[in-house]
Amino acid sequence: MTAVLGVDRVSKTFGERRALSELSFTIGRGEVYGLVGPNGAGKTTLINIACAVLAPDAGTVTLNGGAATPDAHARVGVASQEVALYRDLTSEQNLQFFASLYGLNGEGRARRVRTCLAEVGLEDRSDTTVSFLSGGMQRRLHIAAAMLHEPHLLILDEPTVGLDRESRHRIWRVVRDAADHGAGVLVTTHQLEEAEALCHRIGIIHEGRLVAEGSMDELRRHVAAAELAIIDAGDLGAVRDRADQLGLTHRTALAAVAVWLPERQSLDRVAASFSGIELRSVTLKPVGLEEVVAELTGGRQSEG
Amino acid sequence: MLALTVTQRILKELRHTRRSLIFWALFPSLMLLLFGLIYSGQDTQTNAFDYMAPSILIGAAFFFSCLGGPIAAIVAERERNTLKRLLLSPLSGASYFMGVLFAFLVVAAGQTVIVYGIAYAFGGVYRGSLVLGALVVLLSVASYVGLGFVFGSRFTKRTEEVNGPVSAIGVPLLVLGGTFFPASMLPDYLYRIAQVNPIFHMNEAMDAVSAQGLGVAAIVDHLVFLALFAGVTQALGVQSYRAMLQRERVL
Ligand SMILES: Nc1ncnc2c1ncn2[C@@H]1O[C@H](COP(=O)(O)OP(=O)(O)OP(=O)(O)O)[C@@H](O)[C@H]1O
Ligand SMILES: [Mg+2]
Repeated sequence: MTAVLGVDRVSKTFGERRALSELSFTIGRGEVYGLVGPNGAGKTTLINIACAVLAPDAGTVTLNGGAATPDAHARVGVASQEVALYRDLTSEQNLQFFASLYGLNGEGRARRVRTCLAEVGLEDRSDTTVSFLSGGMQRRLHIAAAMLHEPHLLILDEPTVGLDRESRHRIWRVVRDAADHGAGVLVTTHQLEEAEALCHRIGIIHEGRLVAEGSMDELRRHVAAAELAIIDAGDLGAVRDRADQLGLTHRTALAAVAVWLPERQSLDRVAASFSGIELRSVTLKPVGLEEVVAELTGGRQSEG
Repeated sequence: MLALTVTQRILKELRHTRRSLIFWALFPSLMLLLFGLIYSGQDTQTNAFDYMAPSILIGAAFFFSCLGGPIAAIVAERERNTLKRLLLSPLSGASYFMGVLFAFLVVAAGQTVIVYGIAYAFGGVYRGSLVLGALVVLLSVASYVGLGFVFGSRFTKRTEEVNGPVSAIGVPLLVLGGTFFPASMLPDYLYRIAQVNPIFHMNEAMDAVSAQGLGVAAIVDHLVFLALFAGVTQALGVQSYRAMLQRERVL
């Protein structure tokens, strides 16, 4: 299978700062690939390089298995991290303009503009001037503008920032639809649950390096735990001390302690391990991307 | 053609916001009325609107629309991140430039109709060849738009910064170019300095064609100067725009 996007040992430095180090990955047709990593990890820099806005210091980018020529780039759709729209034009006029840049015109253009507006849920806002759209609506329009020419490769830099739950799910649908129609999709996000729910494969980027990549099942193998117990108690310190005594890895979750269980066990057995401590609740949950990221990027608080 | 897509978009934006269009129509109209009426009182032999219409059109009208307009358009493009968006599209720098130029030729055509409409209403007459007049208009607009690209992409970072330099350097050039009174009123040494001011050549050429009805032979020097100037500013404009894109190459 030829990759829609191939990134091969790409490096980039800004002055003294190394933003990307020998980063490689590929995205196939119909695949949604998520890049996750903290602020400043290098996600946007990588996207800039992928769409030839920035030249890498080393490494290569291929599109559809071939050289990244201007023609090949014309089949890429990009929604940057910052919203880019003409504020004095209506939603429809904005999309018409961007569609024309990619050679669409006449009835075909009108149809495509209507479809894309509907896909992001703005069909009843087509005549609204952009400056009168809410922030979330502007972001949705910004994403619609990237899909007008039915790109082979869709790149979305933090597409769901500032979106409410419903809008976020709508964008997920848009992304899945694009993939179902054969496009490769590259998305970045800070929301790990989002990456988990949306992406076929995920790359974890940390300080400019790809520290791991794969499907969720593959990524889980990086964590030496079968399951997590989220324990809330009056005295969280006591829970941590007990976990240490039991030799269990733990870290602080939101007003609770997450204990990494090496094998699946019953709720009773977990509760028994923490007997003598006044427990408020114990919840068992599968290992998620959050734990994988914590494990691989050193965010974990182990014993001691 | 992608340039026309840009032209359409700019015209739609202008129509939508209206503020600029109103200013570009009102300002030259009022200036022409004022100066026309002022000079009518002093000079009874020729109609003041004959010789005020050309220079008001070139100076008061085109200066603010075709120089200020492109500067504002480029700066807005940068502020709203759409410049980076364009960078990702198949639109080339040259097409973008042409698109802006066409848009302001349309604006300039509208201003020409308004200015000469008022002049006619007050008995002013256009005497020369329409083709020659159109050529002077074309060269003038091209020069202004080219300069607008240079200023917009090189010097101005934000919309607020546009007005200062345009007024500080531009308005004196307008005066020195004989926009508000005939250049023949300038003292000798200023008249000599005015020779390197493109606005002077635009005004003189337009005045010769429009008010005096002269032919190509009479304005060939001005045309050569303007053609060279327009050529240089076009090249510089496109080049500044490309250089700006290089600097802005980060999403
Ligand atoms: N044009 C630039 N000049 C200098 N340094 C830059 C430039 N662009 C990015 N950097 C640096 O490169 C690193 C990676 O930045 P990048 O924008 O790629 O991060 P990111 O993963 O997209 O972060 P965020 O999640 O905040 O969007 C940062 O340390 C940043 O300061
Ligand atoms: Mg980023």
